[in-house]
Amino acid sequence: MRILTMVLSLCFVASAFSQNYKFGKVSKEELEETVCSIDSTANAAYLYKYRKSYFEYIQGEGFVLKTEIQERIKLYNQEGFDYATEQIRLYKGHGGSEEKVSQIKAYTYNLENGKIIESKLNKSDIFKSKASKYTNEVKFTMPNLKPSSVIEYKYEISSPFLSNVDEFIFQHNIPVKKLEARFDVPEYFNFKVNIKGFLSVVPKVENERGSITFNNKTRTSSGQGLSAVTRTNYSTSKVDFNKQVNTYSLENVPALRDEPYVNSINNYRSSVKYELSYTKFPNATIETYSTTWEDVVKRVYKSSSFGEELKKTAYFQKDIDALISSVSDPAERVVLIFDFVKSQVKWNGYYGFYADDVRKAYKDHVGNSGDINLMLTAMLRHAGLNANPVLVSTRTHGIPLFPTREGFNYVVTWVKLPDGSVTLLDATNKYSVPNVLPFRVLNWQGRIVAKNGGSGLIDLYPKTKSKNAMNMMVKIDEEGTLEGSFRSVRTNHRALSFRNSYNGADKDAYLEKLENRYNGIEISDYEVKNDKELLKPIIESYKFVKESQADIIGDKMYFSPLFYLKTSENPFKLEKREFPIDFGYPSITSHRVTINIPDGYKIESIPEAAAIRLPDNLGSFQFKILSRGNTIQVSVTSQINESIISPIHYEALKEYFNTFIRKEAEQIVLTKA
Amino acid sequence: MKVKYFIVSALLLLVFSAFPQDNLYTSYSIPDDLLENANAVVRKSSIDITLKSASEMHVIEKRVVTVFNKQGDDNVDAIVYYDNNERIIELQALVFDAFGKQIKKIKKKDFKDVSAVDGGTLYSDSRVKYLEYTPISYPYTVEFISETTNRNTAFIQPFYPVNDYHLSVESSSYNISYPQGIAVRTKEKNFENLDLEKEELNSSISFKVKNVEAIKPEDYSPSFSVMAPRILVASNQFSLEGVKTKVESWNDFGKWMYHDLIKNTHDLPAGTRSAIQSLVEGETDDIEKAKKVYQFVQDKVRYISVQVGIGGWKPFNVSKVDRLGYGDCKALTNYTMALLKAAGVESYYTVVYARGSQRSIEKDFAAMQGNHVILNIPQENGEDIWLECTSQKLPFGFIGDFTDDRDALVITPQGGRIEHTKKYEVEESLQTIKGTCNISNEGAIEAKVTVVSKGIQYDDKYWLESETDRDLDTHYKKRWRYINGLSIDAMVINNDRDNIEFIEDVSFKASNYSKIIGDRMLLPLNVLNRNRHVPDRYRSRKLPLQIKRGFKDVDTVEIKLPTDYKIESQPKNVSIENKYGSYKMELEIKDESTIIYNREFIVRDGDFPKEDYDGFRDFYKEVSKQDNAKIALIKK
Repeated sequence: MRILTMVLSLCFVASAFSQNYKFGKVSKEELEETVCSIDSTANAAYLYKYRKSYFEYIQGEGFVLKTEIQERIKLYNQEGFDYATEQIRLYKGHGGSEEKVSQIKAYTYNLENGKIIESKLNKSDIFKSKASKYTNEVKFTMPNLKPSSVIEYKYEISSPFLSNVDEFIFQHNIPVKKLEARFDVPEYFNFKVNIKGFLSVVPKVENERGSITFNNKTRTSSGQGLSAVTRTNYSTSKVDFNKQVNTYSLENVPALRDEPYVNSINNYRSSVKYELSYTKFPNATIETYSTTWEDVVKRVYKSSSFGEELKKTAYFQKDIDALISSVSDPAERVVLIFDFVKSQVKWNGYYGFYADDVRKAYKDHVGNSGDINLMLTAMLRHAGLNANPVLVSTRTHGIPLFPTREGFNYVVTWVKLPDGSVTLLDATNKYSVPNVLPFRVLNWQGRIVAKNGGSGLIDLYPKTKSKNAMNMMVKIDEEGTLEGSFRSVRTNHRALSFRNSYNGADKDAYLEKLENRYNGIEISDYEVKNDKELLKPIIESYKFVKESQADIIGDKMYFSPLFYLKTSENPFKLEKREFPIDFGYPSITSHRVTINIPDGYKIESIPEAAAIRLPDNLGSFQFKILSRGNTIQVSVTSQINESIISPIHYEALKEYFNTFIRKEAEQIVLTKA
Repeated sequence: MKVKYFIVSALLLLVFSAFPQDNLYTSYSIPDDLLENANAVVRKSSIDITLKSASEMHVIEKRVVTVFNKQGDDNVDAIVYYDNNERIIELQALVFDAFGKQIKKIKKKDFKDVSAVDGGTLYSDSRVKYLEYTPISYPYTVEFISETTNRNTAFIQPFYPVNDYHLSVESSSYNISYPQGIAVRTKEKNFENLDLEKEELNSSISFKVKNVEAIKPEDYSPSFSVMAPRILVASNQFSLEGVKTKVESWNDFGKWMYHDLIKNTHDLPAGTRSAIQSLVEGETDDIEKAKKVYQFVQDKVRYISVQVGIGGWKPFNVSKVDRLGYGDCKALTNYTMALLKAAGVESYYTVVYARGSQRSIEKDFAAMQGNHVILNIPQENGEDIWLECTSQKLPFGFIGDFTDDRDALVITPQGGRIEHTKKYEVEESLQTIKGTCNISNEGAIEAKVTVVSKGIQYDDKYWLESETDRDLDTHYKKRWRYINGLSIDAMVINNDRDNIEFIEDVSFKASNYSKIIGDRMLLPLNVLNRNRHVPDRYRSRKLPLQIKRGFKDVDTVEIKLPTDYKIESQPKNVSIENKYGSYKMELEIKDESTIIYNREFIVRDGDFPKEDYDGFRDFYKEVSKQDNAKIALIKK
């Protein structure tokens, strides 16, 4: 056994040594590999991924941010060919400054009859295009691919946007065998490092010396008149400086795979983001960008698109004064102003916590999330309320783990009433009400930006359970046809999502869709109450007929007590789970069903009552049933008490769903009397 | 068809400013029948095309659209494509509120300008300018005006007054004028129930249609593009990327395509030519040769779309595909054709409309049509062979639902001709299930199943071959989603490309499969292939019924009953037969502990009047019900 271990480790060392990561040094072994050694399901893998970013001083231009990329990718099969197309996005600023890519070199390597054959990417097969006003795009795809090809490319990006260092991404949808990254920072810059993901990634930090060479040209003239001689002197001067070198070296990084009920898989992807905190150039004062949450908030507050926009009142003053003149109750004022903004300014779909121009948004009745909610905050303040903006990272944007401005992409409004109660508002959605924010906003915590530039945290996950309480009175006949009435009451997010899809939809089409969702139930007397009265729960009711709701075998009838409303599919199918399960909000769903059985039948048996519970009071399920004479009464309640559940409870959650699906499927038996 | 001809000798001069009528811009002046099912209404639309010569086309489009809700926003359709040949001269949009008051003006420079590549395209030199407008309230009205000039005249935009579901039209007109010496042909489709006005002068043709009601999408109906009213327009002389030609018939068209776009691209490098020749050496059968070449292509190239200049119409040179190992449908089809030629097998470049709905090339209207290219290998005796050259996975001769059963344009050196592609018949699209299931005394199930799929049912499944185990596991849990708590024990997949059969061997188990109630057990008989689909119900069906493809399922499942139970009562055998298909269920009692469940379900393709829809839906409903049948067991 020991010998075997020895041999194995020797092999490992040997194979590790045979790797040469220099550009162009692709080995036969790499080409011969048919299945990824660290993940047999991988269609492709990075054999080597390298990135170096550094600042270069260019005389006459100043510092530029340079990034060198080199990647070697193994394609194990045709599905892996998707990784053979590289897309480089280059940003353009307002004033003509833009990122540029150069030195693109790329080769495909194949093994043919034991020989390594390389195919070069031609310049003519690299495509440049103007993707939008602010982005250029350079794209290429590798030539001559075969399953088992290795591709390799490198290029350099040069950027004038010094504070915008792209995230270093360490984990991909395919595994990475070897990764090296490096970021060199001259002493004039100070960056904050933000590490996220499930892998442990620690940079090695060292100091090195660097220098800038200036070429000086001086012209001197000597002599006079015709005999004058002009002479140009060249001289050089050198400035030395310190630079901090951050290096990362990783091996065998597993692939990141998506799972259902994850708010954004990028929250769990391993990466490092450098955010500029300050610059200090010789003979200049320190210019801070961000270091702590307080700094971030201050900077955001100070910026003209935030603090200044928040201060403007003249554009709305007259309208708001008129609106609230007869109302003095602070809570009523909040509702009035909130509704006013919702009706006056429509969201254009753009995210952001900065306003483009609140005045213009007000005038044009259209704005981004910054325009709308900063305007709302300013109006509330104008009405004498204690209101502040709250910086938010939306669900798809990830979790703001570190103090950065880029951690946020959205803003909502916080208001505190004299009685101490706190309310969150978002006027971008027509149907949103106080403390019921659009689903996109329900993500961890937001940061309140106080008037003095101070800050505090506020939980964005709702505390109140969103309810859907359903009542059904039904009669089943001996053919198994169900006839009855249905009524449901929805609150909070359940009501919000109902209004989002119902209000504004064609009513007939909506009804048809509803009927078809339940496989052709026939609905009549359909009615929705409070669809426009947002502060009240949604009440939906209808009468219906639904066929084939019981199995009739011999002289018996069998059916499950929730009929077509029972849950039939477990949303959790994966055997294992790595990431938290994010429901967005806590919820409670209940059914109360009263069943009248057909004449000539009697109740033979009904399922037993049952209750199950998730650990740590995360949720519970209750099933109660009663029969009296020709009537059966069923009450089923399930609730999830938390917005987000840790993956350690995945097994329990999956089993919980299995159990309650099984319980809901249990049968009532009737016999011919 | 009601077509009104007006013969007017005077030349009509069209002056373009805003439409004169004011009530066009208010949202309240629309007739009621146009509001039904409409998210938006085209109030007035005009397309004015001036063919100045065979190589210059001038287009002015004006459209006033009233939008009633969010779903209708896209119907404003304020989009213009442009490229090196097509220039935008004028572009403007005006927005009006419900009362017809102008509230916004959007100038050319305020339109968004982006590259017109979609997800599947690496590069295209086509670009698009579009209006991005956030409505403040509904309804609102947009007037959109664009003016373009184009050196390509091969595509003349058709008169397509309604281009979407839930869109109605108050009035829409189309005019094309052309110089002496150029003839313009038109073809009208699907105007049977509309009042179409047609006016033909000696150098112009115009059409006008009024009051077209909105239609809403319905299950199992012909696709929108097949049933929408449309007038095709083509000029007998046109220019494409500087190449001029004259076309009167499909034969001319095919000749032009072959000689101007295809022939001179066949510069196959000598190395590959000899590789192909040695690949097929000794093979005498043409089909066997073609199979080898097709495999060679599938191993060598992949689909990547690049559209530059004439390359948007003409395939890449064969040598380029050979070097790059990629190309779009034109490039890959043409490459395969060149390799087949090197192997001594004749094949033809073929233009089709691709997609699941079987849209045909218009037989009697020779003009630029289609959106995809495949390859035809003619067969003297028997059906022609069709090759999809963009797939690295499909078996030889299999085109699936992407291009099956439709008229296509086959291009030969002698000219073009229309042929019909392969149709997958009901009996060919066969799925056979053979399974055994054991039920325990506790109601748990253990099942072993072999599923063999052919024809269109092969098409539905062959992609499973390249799924990872994790995704495949989830796939089967979804396929049998009606079994709660299912866990997969084994999955083996065999894609038999030679016989075009997809074979799945799966075993799984689940506790609590059948319900135990006191002394009884209720056992659902159809374990492996339960139909749970019922077509949508409509209060009043408007569109005809179309079943695009038929299929046949045959299931034989042996069920071992739990040892402590015996049969108390069993469902009756079922046999249904109607014009839509048939359904048979038979239960065989093999011995006291074994039953055999036999099921056959056939759906036939075809076109039926809308009155038949309910019957079709009832058929599916009945099948769902029968598939839910249970046998009652009782403790011995």
